[in-house]
Amino acid sequence: MRHAPKRGVDATLRNAVEPILSAVRAHRFGHGEGGSAPSDGEAEADVLAAVEREAAAVHKRLARDGGVFAAEFLGATGSGKTALVEALLDRRPDGERAAVIAGDVAGDDDATRYRSHGVPVVDVTTGTDCHLDPARVGRAIDELDLGGLDRLFVENVGNMVCPADFPLGASLRVVVVSVTEGDDVVRKHPLVFQACDLVVINKTDIAGAVGADVARMREDARAIAPETPVVATSAETGAGIDRLRRLLDRGPESHGDGYDHDHDHGSGANRADERRR
Amino acid sequence: MHELTAANRLLEAALEAASERNAGRIDRLTVELGTATHLTADQLRFCLDAITEGTAAAEATVEFDRVEPAGACECGWSGPTEPIDGVVPDAPSLRCPDCGRRLSLRAGRECRLSAIEIPERTETEQ
Repeated sequence: MRHAPKRGVDATLRNAVEPILSAVRAHRFGHGEGGSAPSDGEAEADVLAAVEREAAAVHKRLARDGGVFAAEFLGATGSGKTALVEALLDRRPDGERAAVIAGDVAGDDDATRYRSHGVPVVDVTTGTDCHLDPARVGRAIDELDLGGLDRLFVENVGNMVCPADFPLGASLRVVVVSVTEGDDVVRKHPLVFQACDLVVINKTDIAGAVGADVARMREDARAIAPETPVVATSAETGAGIDRLRRLLDRGPESHGDGYDHDHDHGSGANRADERRR
Repeated sequence: MHELTAANRLLEAALEAASERNAGRIDRLTVELGTATHLTADQLRFCLDAITEGTAAAEATVEFDRVEPAGACECGWSGPTEPIDGVVPDAPSLRCPDCGRRLSLRAGRECRLSAIEIPERTETEQ
């Protein structure tokens, strides 16, 4: 065994604990600081760190090995993720080879919509799970010819809570909210905004009709996720879509606590950018 | 489902560590749980109660240590985060109080099995 506590800390802890707990022994798990992998044969003791490591492995396959820039779209059901990705597919530059992984709890409605744009689509239904995970995305990209792709869109299951804790390995995480969810939707879901690299406020063409204050949504996003770009769009009218496309081209600007920042420094995404130029 | 995924991984780590120490029983699991996650202690406990049945951890007590968020900035500042003024009191502010740039979270995102307690070694193991 090569547990971290064996390197000195364990003895201190044992001295502190064992006189009190004479009938038991305590084993304390080491901290995997700096994203280091766990020791041989030891299961990862931090569940979320393990997910981040799995996502980093997917990221490496996509960005470094495959030269594919992947953007994940997450947000509530009905926020307009599919319509936005369709709008981006319609505006993709000549020669750009794109594919989509469509995640849903059930059904192939989104996959069918994407296929009508003439791109390869992998439909992933989770059955019961409320979010995609790196393992599912890894299996989905097995079905794609990464060498023949420049860009991959990954649409997560409609949900504003659980996906925040489960990065998938995309170069960029994009959270989509729509004005129809109420202009307090951003402050109700702070952690998902902090986990993402880009915020899209969609359906702005009907903000007046539903009484939503887009400026307030922007301010909330800025307060909750400093330095994260915010773009207002309407997939219906096309407003803001070109700006969204440019932001996707630029890649991640800042990561507060994403795996790119802590474990990968976005190098995979940068390399994908270079390949496209 | 989210908590069940996490609970399964915690149990897996605990059972593996116990088995490597030839312990047939786990008496206690301690889990560090960051408040800047969507995982909750009550739901994790519920899931662990369900999935430990029939395992070495069936009778284990589960304890949670809350971990409050802490951040670090490129400017050198580090420390516990503040609530976001006037917006959301229960999420960490990621704005550096010194220079205003974005902080990286250094704590508060844990869901980590920090310790297990297993019965004292038998003579033959020593």
